[in-house]
Amino acid sequence: MEVKECNDLAEENQFIVDDVSKIIKEAIESSIGGTAYQHNKVNQWTSAVVESCLGQLTKLQKPYKYIVTCTIMQKNGAGLHTASSCFWDNNTDGSCTVRWENKTMYCIVSVFGLGI
Amino acid sequence: MEISYQYTKMRGNFGRQPQFCEQGPELCDSIPTALGEHKNYILRNPVHQLTQNTPCYSANEVNTLRAEYSTTGANHAEGGWPKDIPVTDPEATQRYRRKIEKDDGYISCVMSAAPEIDHYTHQNNAIDMYGIYYTEMAPTPAIECTSCRTVNVYRDPPPVRPISSICWQPDGGSRFAVTYIDLDFKRIPRAPLLSYIWDVENANNPEMTITPPCALLDLQYNPREQTTLAGGLINGQVAVWDRRGGGFAQLVSPQHTAHRDLVRNVVFNNAKSGQEFFSAGPDGACKWWDIRNMSEPTDVMIVDVMKSSFDVPSMVTSNGVSSLEFEPTMPTRFMAGTENGLVVVGNRKGKTPMEKMPAKFEAHTGTVWSVERNPGFLKNFLTVGDWTARVWSEDCRDSAIVWSPPHRHKITAGTWSPTRLSLLALAQWNGLLALWDLLRRQHEPTLTMQVCEEPLLRLRMHEGILEREAKRERILEARMREIRLKQRQAEEGAGSPAASLGGLEPLGDQDLTAAAAEYLAQVRKEQGSMS
Repeated sequence: MEVKECNDLAEENQFIVDDVSKIIKEAIESSIGGTAYQHNKVNQWTSAVVESCLGQLTKLQKPYKYIVTCTIMQKNGAGLHTASSCFWDNNTDGSCTVRWENKTMYCIVSVFGLGI
Repeated sequence: MEISYQYTKMRGNFGRQPQFCEQGPELCDSIPTALGEHKNYILRNPVHQLTQNTPCYSANEVNTLRAEYSTTGANHAEGGWPKDIPVTDPEATQRYRRKIEKDDGYISCVMSAAPEIDHYTHQNNAIDMYGIYYTEMAPTPAIECTSCRTVNVYRDPPPVRPISSICWQPDGGSRFAVTYIDLDFKRIPRAPLLSYIWDVENANNPEMTITPPCALLDLQYNPREQTTLAGGLINGQVAVWDRRGGGFAQLVSPQHTAHRDLVRNVVFNNAKSGQEFFSAGPDGACKWWDIRNMSEPTDVMIVDVMKSSFDVPSMVTSNGVSSLEFEPTMPTRFMAGTENGLVVVGNRKGKTPMEKMPAKFEAHTGTVWSVERNPGFLKNFLTVGDWTARVWSEDCRDSAIVWSPPHRHKITAGTWSPTRLSLLALAQWNGLLALWDLLRRQHEPTLTMQVCEEPLLRLRMHEGILEREAKRERILEARMREIRLKQRQAEEGAGSPAASLGGLEPLGDQDLTAAAAEYLAQVRKEQGSMS
């Protein structure tokens, strides 16, 4: 009994990277989809991606706080390196980064989930 | 974005200690540089980049809210007495007035309102401002007004030079001698050396030009003989001019008997001959001269302050004389103001050096610019120096008896009024002429007058105010006599033809026959008494 409870708790409070990655991909596809890079639309795209991600994440009904970042970069041959470092509770918290690309741009979305 | 999430938590999970640990840094993502794309880049050269360096300004206009005014009038037909007071009954109004006057606020209210009411009363144009009021009041005594004015300006024909001395013609004459001197610090003249004798009546041109051999510092009239003038020259010589003899010096003392330095003052002393004068200067010696023999001075006195009767006066320790004073009624005495602030009283009758210089006064901290005895109270004298004027008494050696406060500007000269004994005049460096009446006020001048913007240097009072008045009266008298004579002549001119025919001559004949008859009767009577 006790063990089950523990498992339940663990399952309920786990930051499941696969689910989150799926949510992110859907959000990007729905927001940017097959469009080509347009400089003046980048603001609109990033906010759309971030908002859609956050909406889906809250629908998971998990006691988490979320941090979502989105980077959109034109594919012009330049390199990009991004890294993160966290000080958190490894039992509950987690992060997930998704890189999505089409012919003209990269979109990199990171989600940090922090247990309440 | 409206995102809300409600959650429940078991009580047991509250305050669970989190176990934080560090994770990472881990690379989230890495996109390598695509080198192949580099070929597609076109380098721009030159690159146009706009940069604005000037500061940005902005102008903004703001209009403040306007204050709105309105003018309203009030009709004073209302107000006045309260409604329950019958205005026509004087007793009721009097009672009401008394009640109000007893009120505590009444006095303060009246006091605060009075100035304003006063102001509006003065503005009241219903009052006749040309009417004469308060005629029943006794008139207050009038304040005596003193005034002073410039009668004439005698201008030095350009170049304008500073004046070194002024001297009035004695006995109320209408001329005055003025010496002008303009030297640089090496005593080389910067302007002509001419001095002038002016007539008071004619300010346009000097009456006579004096041509000294070198710069002339002082020129004084002989009080006994109005045509002779004595002057002191810058080289130490003294010279004598005669007005009848033109502008060139008649007599000049020889160089070897002259002063060692310039002659600052020349004063005639009241000798019986009327030919003697004495001179002094910064060399510290006083020399007496006789016009009849100018080859050497008749007497020399060294202005040296003696400590004991055994001291011998010497030119080394003598004090340079800056001003001289001589009073005709005290023929053996004189006074000298020195450059180091002393006033030395001299006595020519003295035998020893101590007797010759019987008194000294430490009058000023600087040069004594003028010394003058009061014309009425001969014991008292006025000195001017170091920004103050002081009145001394010969009885008080240590301190002046009256002194002015220190002035902001230098006092250059001072003199007593010859007729009003308490009045003294001071000439100041700021061009101000100050008249002090010691009987009236001692802390400030009775009258000041800005004569000019330039410094005033010399000051001389004309003695003849009474003479002037007498002269005026004489002129008026003569004029009246003339008018009367003319009237009489006119009368005679009208009446003489008739009188000469019938009136005067027969009357003369009658007189003649009567006198002859009387004479013959007298002769017969005498003859009868003799026989």
